[in-house]
Amino acid sequence: MIAECKKVRKSILAISRESGHGHIPTCFSVVEILYAVYSTIRHNPNDPSWNQRDIFILSKGHAALAYYVVLAQFGYFDIGQVYSFGSFMSDFGCHADRLKVPGIEASTGSLGHGIGLAVGMTLAFKIKKHSAKVYVLIGDGESNEGSVWEAIMVATNLKLNNLTVIYDNNMSHSRGLQINNPAERFKAFGCEVSQVNGHDIGVLKTEITKQPDKVKVIVADTKKGYGCQTLIDNQYQWHRKSPNDSEFDMLIKELNEAAI
Amino acid sequence: MRRQFKNTIKDLAAYDDKIVMIFGDVSVYLFKDFKEKYPDRLYNIGICENTLISVGAGLSSQGLFPFVHTIAPFITERSFEQIKLDMCYNQFGGNIVSCGASFDYAWDGATHHAYTDLAILRLLPDMEVMQPGSVKEVDVLIRSQYNNGHPSYFRLSDNPHNIDIPVTFGKAVVLKNMDFPVTVMTAGPILGNVFEACRQLDVNLVYFHTIKPIDKETIESFRHTTIVVVHDAFGLYEAVCEVPGLTVFSYGFRRQFYCTYGTINDLRQHLGLDVSAIRHTLQQYLVTVS
Repeated sequence: MIAECKKVRKSILAISRESGHGHIPTCFSVVEILYAVYSTIRHNPNDPSWNQRDIFILSKGHAALAYYVVLAQFGYFDIGQVYSFGSFMSDFGCHADRLKVPGIEASTGSLGHGIGLAVGMTLAFKIKKHSAKVYVLIGDGESNEGSVWEAIMVATNLKLNNLTVIYDNNMSHSRGLQINNPAERFKAFGCEVSQVNGHDIGVLKTEITKQPDKVKVIVADTKKGYGCQTLIDNQYQWHRKSPNDSEFDMLIKELNEAAI
Repeated sequence: MRRQFKNTIKDLAAYDDKIVMIFGDVSVYLFKDFKEKYPDRLYNIGICENTLISVGAGLSSQGLFPFVHTIAPFITERSFEQIKLDMCYNQFGGNIVSCGASFDYAWDGATHHAYTDLAILRLLPDMEVMQPGSVKEVDVLIRSQYNNGHPSYFRLSDNPHNIDIPVTFGKAVVLKNMDFPVTVMTAGPILGNVFEACRQLDVNLVYFHTIKPIDKETIESFRHTTIVVVHDAFGLYEAVCEVPGLTVFSYGFRRQFYCTYGTINDLRQHLGLDVSAIRHTLQQYLVTVS
């Protein structure tokens, strides 16, 4: 784990403890993905509406806290603002509102929506002959939704090779409707698919940079709670839980002991 | 109305290159010449109503003016959450144009009857809801509203009325007002039957092509009368009732599945929405009021 991502995880824990909110395990599964995306795509924290930017959409909106912390780390706003997370008048809700938070391109929360929006944005860039690319992060549990596969079919049928779908394969689906061999499924739908370690920043950045002729899907193998063994071992118990002081100290200790 | 829809779009597209058509495998042949002229501005993306709306919202987010088009119950009921969140909550407005209004597809049975669309869409913040009843209304309303950034619903029918009325978005049309004690309010193509039924009756007649925003000022001006909403769908009655304290009754569609087939006129007759049944009902209201 690189130091920057460890720092992101510590902020997630701290904000969750302070606010009493947080989907910590799912946030921890996407930290490296978010970090790799914002290290790679065209964007400008000083001008979030820059007309040459690429677009990123967090379709699995419940990982908003990780998203906020990464955006703060890249300079979109001060991390101190995020400590109001989930409170009544906060701009930083447990699901992000694009009209409140700089850098957020779509307000998500209900699963299976962000990817369809991403397909529309991608088609818009094709129509306008604009070189921007669209990246969308979907969850494996989210992919129980039929709308995900509708959107994939439409994207491949329209040959949207400026769209990259990152599939957070953190095994959320395993206790419900299972999606075995996701890479094969996306290939069957006509996508160019790679399957990588979703916690390896270098590999992720390389894959995000690739531009195939087809819709690109990166199946990112991740662990819910990555970085803290307690979260990995008890991910369902911790699904929406926030740590008390002693749990916070324990999780920070586990993070500190995680290899850099 | 669909032909008028095509003609209006062709006309607008000639000088507005932000117009993009997103079809759910309907009207493709009708728009064949449009597709030939503008191959990158019409996409028949398939029978996937959820994604139709999401794609429309995505196009809107990048400054384009999408027209999402398919059959009324499917695009509004199946995709209600996409309209609510992707278009309304995200403020990625766009145009939703449906066909198969009310009982246009009577012969296809209850799965293809469309009677909730106006009522459910008017619940959504920022949504504009229109039920044009004639080809002129289609033309004027689309031109007036398509590029204003709001999510706009246009409900087309294959059975327009042929009454020429002035059309201004959001404005009701008073077709008859002689200070009678009963006022009939109606919307959309059923005006043809309602107009005929009211011709010899001592009732006022008010017509709406815009269900949301509803013209409260005009409704308010008939407060002192008994209002009878005659409609072949939900939505208008509920909109009229937003003006508090009225004496208002609903006549037309009832909360049940109509498990019959036939034509739209068969269904209208079954519902009591043919000319003679409407007239008879209104006569009863007149007796009651007097």
